Amino acid sequence: MQALAELAVLDTPAEQAFNDLVLIASQACDTPIALVSLLDEDRQWFKARVGLDVCETEIGYSVCQLDIDRAEVLEIVDLSQDERTRTNPLITGERAFRFYAGAPLVLKSGAIVGRLCVIDTVARPDGLSAAQRTLLSALARQVSDHLDLRRMAQSSARMVELQTALIEIGEAIRRSEDSAAMIERSAAIVGRVLEVDRAGIGFVDATVEHVDFEADWTAPGVTSIVGRHRFDDYGAMREDLAQGLPIVIEDVNTDDRTMADPGSMKAVDVAALVNMPVRHLDRTTAIFVVHSSIPRCWTPEELWFLRSTADRLEAGVSRFRAEQQQQILNGEISHRLKNMLAMVQAIASQTLREIPERGPVENFERRLVALSAAHDVLLQKSWADADLRNVAEAVLDTVGFADRVRLDGPPVPLGARAALSFSLVVHELMTNACKYGSLCQEGGHVDLTWSIADDTDLLVSWREKNGPPVVAPTRRGFGSKLVRLGLVGTGGVDLRYEPTGLEADMHASIKHLAMG
Amino acid sequence: MCVCDRPTKPLVLVVEDEPLLRLFAVDMIEDAGFDTVEAANSTEAVAILESHPDIRIVFTDVDMPHGIDGIRLAACIRDRWPPIKIIITSGKPLPQRVSIPAETVFFPKPFRQDRVIETLRNMAA
Repeated sequence: MQALAELAVLDTPAEQAFNDLVLIASQACDTPIALVSLLDEDRQWFKARVGLDVCETEIGYSVCQLDIDRAEVLEIVDLSQDERTRTNPLITGERAFRFYAGAPLVLKSGAIVGRLCVIDTVARPDGLSAAQRTLLSALARQVSDHLDLRRMAQSSARMVELQTALIEIGEAIRRSEDSAAMIERSAAIVGRVLEVDRAGIGFVDATVEHVDFEADWTAPGVTSIVGRHRFDDYGAMREDLAQGLPIVIEDVNTDDRTMADPGSMKAVDVAALVNMPVRHLDRTTAIFVVHSSIPRCWTPEELWFLRSTADRLEAGVSRFRAEQQQQILNGEISHRLKNMLAMVQAIASQTLREIPERGPVENFERRLVALSAAHDVLLQKSWADADLRNVAEAVLDTVGFADRVRLDGPPVPLGARAALSFSLVVHELMTNACKYGSLCQEGGHVDLTWSIADDTDLLVSWREKNGPPVVAPTRRGFGSKLVRLGLVGTGGVDLRYEPTGLEADMHASIKHLAMG
Repeated sequence: MCVCDRPTKPLVLVVEDEPLLRLFAVDMIEDAGFDTVEAANSTEAVAILESHPDIRIVFTDVDMPHGIDGIRLAACIRDRWPPIKIIITSGKPLPQRVSIPAETVFFPKPFRQDRVIETLRNMAA
């Protein structure tokens, strides 16, 4: 019965190949009637027929089913004389069948799904000739082969359809901005191709007692199951799921795991379902769920599809959640770090309160604030690359006079280390320009420009214009030492005290800049 | 003591749960020529505001345990004591969706003291 269901042939339209085979059988055996009879649970259904005007009969009237398990040709020369058939309405009634011969339809899997039979309305005491019997068996093998091939062609067409849907699901996951959108979009695709009423992924707790659905997809008019559910409320599924076995139920009324109390399933309109587990380190962490409101069978291709979907969606949602977690963590670390800088500021301020000379104290505070500003830029990128321009702008903002500094250059990614040292360099140059350089007088300005040579070297140039005459300092303070450390803390700085204004050229390799 | 002897320095309420940072802020603000009262959380802050109608400016942290945070405190002040000016400071960037009330200035921590003082003086003027 299962084999017949998997053939997906019942109640399908007539097909020429089968029609041809019954025609040949009736001619070869010289009978008015020939049938391809498939034995369903409660009926025999004819995929092809000649000489008969009905396409199915009750299984109780079926002659084909007699001795079907023996997989041999069944021949009854006079049905009205045979013990097994003489009271059958097909024989006693107006159809008055008298002679029957049927060869079994055996699939490659070994399953017997029916017979190719020939029927006459007169008894044939001599039965089929040896040649006719051989021919009938050969034609039955043709019918069986054709049923198998037909199924294979169908399943490969279905496979292509499901693979296309899987690609679509991959794209839906990639273009979703959060986990709920990933789940809704993927589940909608599953719902469409499997023609189910509800789909979604739920995450399972460590003891496999509960499952939490963050989002799902439902057909119009079907209620959502978003929220927490207890497995034991729905039948005996927990142990299989804990071991990573999929739960595949074709009908909750007849399945061992749910038949004791199918009410809870019916309450959420579930007649058939699949729960496909996803495993991590030998533990079931999630299940992909599909629900159908009518009983149905699930083909091996569909189960493969659900397994692939479950894996992909779980990976997508887990990755999103891990990134979110990481962002929260980054924010928390950054917050603490900035509070720590504020504490350092407070301690320094309190400790140095009595010192009459305020310059160095203020310098300290400003350097701390510049460092903190660079840190803010890095945080916005989750401590990945910060853009050189953004770092420069953030530092200029802490010093002031940002409107008198012209920035120009291509995007350059700075790693965390380079961003912090660059921020200190810019801060010192700015502070110096405000005190002694071009920014200490009206009309003075600074060109801060950068370029990349040969894709490998960054050159940052600082040019002060329209300032007072410049003299080289006699003593190197901490500020000028900081500047000489350069972009990555290893030098590469050329400082020139030109009469027109301070000029600084700073080199670094792009590779060093991008390192964390 | 008569009413005319009341101090004429503008009064600033400092709300900060971290004692060291509170001490620092109080010293900075007093050195700049203001009087201060202190609160360690929003609940205390509201009680002080209710008993000190002469408070002109509130200087508050955002993240504080117990009760509401600094941003909601600011909204509450704007609602109940509209004339009071507010300075908010935080180690976190301001959440993008949160809008701070009118007449409120935000400083990320650590801040430049001279800029905070300048803002206080403008607010008191």
